[in-house]
Amino acid sequence: MGPVRCPHGTGTGPVPGAASSCDLREHTTAMATTTSSRTAGSTPTPAKPRTPRRAGFSQRLGRWDLKLSPYLYISPFFILFLVTGLFPLFYTAWVSFHDWDTVMGQGEFVGLENFQYVLTSADFWKAVRNTFSIFLLSSIPQVIIALVIAAMLDQNIRAKTFWRMGVLLPYIVTPVAVALIFSNLFADQSGIINQWLGALGFDPVRWHAEVIPSHLAIATMVNFRWTGYTTLILLAAMQAVSRELYEAAVIDGAGRARQFFSITVPQIRPTMIFVVITSTIGGLQIFDEPRLFDQAGNGGSDGQWQTLTMYLYRLGWSQSDFGRASAVAWLLFVIIVIIGLINLAVTRRIATSGGKR
Amino acid sequence: MVAAGVATLALALTACGSDSDDSAEGGSGDSGGKVTLTISTFNEFGYDDGLLDEYMKQNPNITVKHTKADTSQAAGDALRNALGAGSGGSDVAAIEGDQMPEFLQYADKFEDISDPSLDGRWQDWKTAQATDAKGRLIGYGTDIGPEGICYRSDLLKEAGLPTDRESVAKWMGSTWDDYFKAGEEYTKKTGKPFYDSAGTIRLGMENQMQNAFEKDDGTIIATENPEVKDMYDQLLAESAKGLSAGLSQWTQDWNESFKTGGFATTLCPGWMLGVVQGNAPDVKTWDITNSFPGGGGNWGGSFLTVPSYGKHVKEAKALANWLTAPEQQIEAFKSKGTFPSQIEALKDPAITEATNPYFNDAPIGQILTDRANAVTVKPFKGPHYQAINDFLADALGRVDIDKVDDADTSWNKFVTDVNGLK
Amino acid sequence: MTAPALVPTAPTPESLRPKKVRTAVRRPGWITYGLLAAVLVGSVFPLYWSVLVGSWDSSVLTRDPMPWFPGGNFWFNASRVLDSIPFWKATGNSLLVSTVTASSTVIFSTLAGYSFAKLRFRGKGPLLIFVIATLAVPTQLGVVPLYLVMAKLGWTGSMLAVIVPALVTAFGVFWMTQYIGSALPDELIEAARVDGASMIRTFWHVGLPAARPAASMLFLFTFVQVWTNFFWPFIILGPQNPTLPVALQSLQAAYFVDYSLVLAGATLATIPLFILFLGAGRQLVSGIMAGAVKG
Repeated sequence: MGPVRCPHGTGTGPVPGAASSCDLREHTTAMATTTSSRTAGSTPTPAKPRTPRRAGFSQRLGRWDLKLSPYLYISPFFILFLVTGLFPLFYTAWVSFHDWDTVMGQGEFVGLENFQYVLTSADFWKAVRNTFSIFLLSSIPQVIIALVIAAMLDQNIRAKTFWRMGVLLPYIVTPVAVALIFSNLFADQSGIINQWLGALGFDPVRWHAEVIPSHLAIATMVNFRWTGYTTLILLAAMQAVSRELYEAAVIDGAGRARQFFSITVPQIRPTMIFVVITSTIGGLQIFDEPRLFDQAGNGGSDGQWQTLTMYLYRLGWSQSDFGRASAVAWLLFVIIVIIGLINLAVTRRIATSGGKR
Repeated sequence: MVAAGVATLALALTACGSDSDDSAEGGSGDSGGKVTLTISTFNEFGYDDGLLDEYMKQNPNITVKHTKADTSQAAGDALRNALGAGSGGSDVAAIEGDQMPEFLQYADKFEDISDPSLDGRWQDWKTAQATDAKGRLIGYGTDIGPEGICYRSDLLKEAGLPTDRESVAKWMGSTWDDYFKAGEEYTKKTGKPFYDSAGTIRLGMENQMQNAFEKDDGTIIATENPEVKDMYDQLLAESAKGLSAGLSQWTQDWNESFKTGGFATTLCPGWMLGVVQGNAPDVKTWDITNSFPGGGGNWGGSFLTVPSYGKHVKEAKALANWLTAPEQQIEAFKSKGTFPSQIEALKDPAITEATNPYFNDAPIGQILTDRANAVTVKPFKGPHYQAINDFLADALGRVDIDKVDDADTSWNKFVTDVNGLK
Repeated sequence: MTAPALVPTAPTPESLRPKKVRTAVRRPGWITYGLLAAVLVGSVFPLYWSVLVGSWDSSVLTRDPMPWFPGGNFWFNASRVLDSIPFWKATGNSLLVSTVTASSTVIFSTLAGYSFAKLRFRGKGPLLIFVIATLAVPTQLGVVPLYLVMAKLGWTGSMLAVIVPALVTAFGVFWMTQYIGSALPDELIEAARVDGASMIRTFWHVGLPAARPAASMLFLFTFVQVWTNFFWPFIILGPQNPTLPVALQSLQAAYFVDYSLVLAGATLATIPLFILFLGAGRQLVSGIMAGAVKG
């Protein structure tokens, strides 16, 4: 996702709080957008060159210091990004046009053959389906649940920090541990979840055999780890909502629920959508949880929960075919960029409509 | 070695990458002829209970550092990475038998270890597994995986069927047809599954085919080979339906079933005995037959290789040679039960007279020796063996375990998968 | 899933904070507390389960009824974990990788953030936009070439392969830019410059102290993220020299799965960050809420 323009400013704030800051600026002057409008825009910073006191070498040194230091300070990021970000991206394309064995290295130039293989492979399209399905199942419910929890935390409760830390706790558990724990809970026969379902009179769910149940189980792992995190972001947005709006609503005789749906939800809607959007880049690359959902790590006998990154891994590291793996990497890259552009369009629209309220 | 079974875990499980210990450099700063060797194995090769210490005592100028990966897949991935990178791997690297065909493609990147002094050390088929088309031998054989059938005598008893080793062997017969027929009888009497999954039984059948998936020249025939299709059909036939417990190997449910009696029989290469015992330590009724449907069969077994990127290949060869000599392999068997591939070792009383109390005091040495001698077919496994094997496992799993496809649909997917291979 | 980006907004200066007039000054009723307690149970239960199963032997899962209190087998299981995987080595590696990358990310991001927020130079606007745009680049997808590069360098299996690509992040730069921009008055810099301080001195004495609160949060986030990271370390590190998540996953991949062993491992692996959380959880919370409200 790219920079997001606030409706009445030049702020670049691609992330939740900043989004809400766009349309809530009147109320929360302290949000960060003002800063970025200064930095990203062309407004000159007030720092003026100092008056020279001594001429000669030190002055020249001072000028170089003034001119070069900023570049020096930002250079680590750019150098590292060039080497570990940009170069690999283009090199991936190069590899994808070749027959490339993991051990033997570069082979012949094969043109688009690898792409053709991948695009006609049923596994690829299943992986696309799974990736999106798991993503949606893990982001939409997550935002809804987080919304409810945030609303409760937004009340005048006792021991605020305790509750906040409580919901955040799962965030510090590594996804590998989360996956190990949940794949035990979700075992088809001996898992506790199926035992509970049985006790409630339901048939056991075949978590490791059917498509949607496996996605649900994996999404549960993701949600377990991230819901608390999302809750805190939404909570921050809620707390930024002007209390005057609520006061006015109280005077109008609106109840709690009414206030929630007519004020809170619309006010933080941009943040909610931002939460979903910002999780797309990571979410579409999901690997850890589905990889460890069973012992084999291939996403099921029919690719029921094989995601795109798993497919990439399988091609590149298990089938020793870097060419095809690179083709998948590029396709996934394109998918994410397209989604990113859609995001950009959506967020602009939200920002605009939010500001006009 | 033990992890032969893990090959069926399908593709890679653990990190690629290689041993990064500075010792991997082979101790470039060595002085006075001191050499540090690294050896990487997986699961249990039985080298830790004194064998390596013994070697260092005999060769004071050598220090050996041993690293163990959890699975053969992990070890294979690490080795593949080191070969690709041309550095960073171990001086001696263990390879699991079913992975050997893939690594034979890269035989040039390994030391040729053939030597007149090694002639006759191993069974021919074991040596053949590690020899490439040009006659380069790249692996010192460690162990093999001759198979019997493990069964729960209490479950057979409940069904009013024979329970002692000899009668069970007779009842199960000598062909796969007999085995399935026995299964039908058991299932009809008890309504319970006979074996864990079609995929497991398939490994036994497949390992008896000369050219299951590939011709000797490497041409893929997996989808046209009538043997493979017949096997597939037999495993998924209507009559075999109730026989399978539909439990995927190595899953939690599969593990639990060794305790709960989810199935009555399974295939048991030597290294599987430890798995059975580990999964059901308190069950007293597991036993093993001295028989195997369709003749003998081998599942798994490993090699030690010396990759050429090492800085001390001469010393590494000496170490691997010593470790795979009959005397040492007998020690390894005593330590971890890995059944030797060395002809000499198989004649040793320490092997032939060994018994296993967990399996009702089965004369395990005799049984496995007989099972090893019964192996007549030396299956050809080419570079695509592993990949096709995994595809077939998935194909059977879709029908037998996950029940998401019918047999024909799943077969068609298998054909598509195989055709996608280069 | 990687961390959803958060907004680095500066903590609100007290005077600018909107007056919080609570609509309901009264405390919420027991229903709210009940629901919150249920949420808490949800976030604790899987961890409790891990401790529970990890403290019995593997037969506990088939026991009927299952015990709901921990058994006495945890240390035995833990010792088996230590035998099965190079746990201490992995913990040491994770500690090394997380500490180094978190420190370097903080240093480089603070420098870059200071530069973007407070210094004047040609091309600043486009360069900052470039930084923000890279937030959207899924760099994880460059694994194949990155792997080839690491192989060339002979770094496969070495911590360098994990540390170097994570030395600084776009997120960190953006976060510090936002924060320093709002938290550091230009007048302070000007004053230092007028006094004749060099650029780096000015940064050291003025920029750095002002950035400290955001820097410590950035440290925490980076630390947690790198500690929990799996995909790249899994690819590039060997089983002999893993980070904690990589070592942990091999417990499940082993040839037969003993869940009391696996979950004892999961418990052990969670302990280090749990301790960190007890010490710095409050800061994490306020970091995520990033100044919109005081924790």
